[in-house]
Amino acid sequence: MSWSRRMAELLPGSITRDTGGAEPDPRFTFANERTFLAWSRTALALVVAGLGIVQLLPPFPGVPAGRDLLGVPLIALGGVLAVAAYIEWGRSQRALRRGEPLPRSILPWILAATVSAIAVIAAVVLLASALR
Amino acid sequence: MTAPPPVPPTGPPGPGGDPEERDPGLARERTSLAWTRTALSFAAVGGAMLKVNAITGLVILAVAPVIWQAGQVARGRSPVAGLPVVGAGRLFLIALSVVAVSLLCLAVAIFGRSAPGALR
Repeated sequence: MSWSRRMAELLPGSITRDTGGAEPDPRFTFANERTFLAWSRTALALVVAGLGIVQLLPPFPGVPAGRDLLGVPLIALGGVLAVAAYIEWGRSQRALRRGEPLPRSILPWILAATVSAIAVIAAVVLLASALR
Repeated sequence: MTAPPPVPPTGPPGPGGDPEERDPGLARERTSLAWTRTALSFAAVGGAMLKVNAITGLVILAVAPVIWQAGQVARGRSPVAGLPVVGAGRLFLIALSVVAVSLLCLAVAIFGRSAPGALR
């Protein structure tokens, strides 16, 4: 499938007017929508956490870039998660319409991998600050 | 001895099953509440941003009522059949808003440094 075709399939109208299936049980549609909303809230929480780290924390002694190292990836993860959640919602809605099994979600993987990486960075920054 | 496999429900649901089986309006209600929580999350980000950069904070705060309004649309849609019209545009709006907010926060975090240790 071409790149532009893939992009066009992500647009809102393409998902609602998907002719390859029928309107699913409304409860499934609502549940899919709530899942998307929950991921959006997670993304917003990550953004506000990153903002708080960069702007409100006192600087780490001896590690001047420490706050940016921790906060900027969190904010970026928030943005990535919002886009991924929308793509995931579209894939699930399409599968629900067509009665296919739901696709595997990559969102938990993204979240777990990035949060682990940030935890490692936090440990390194704290150690560097303590051993200075 | 193994438990018998679960029998898929057939026919109209009896009382005592999944509450949503008895009242499909609950799904709509829960979704409406989820929209409210999401709008509140936007307001929380805006409130946190107010402390850092007042103008950006006000811009993000102004997004919250728009999101809330989008959720109200969900409440009233297709009242007759009870079937939801998939409002993909509203979800697209949320995804775009979160990305915009995160870009704004990134810009403020990198360029708009406040006095160090503003919490103290």
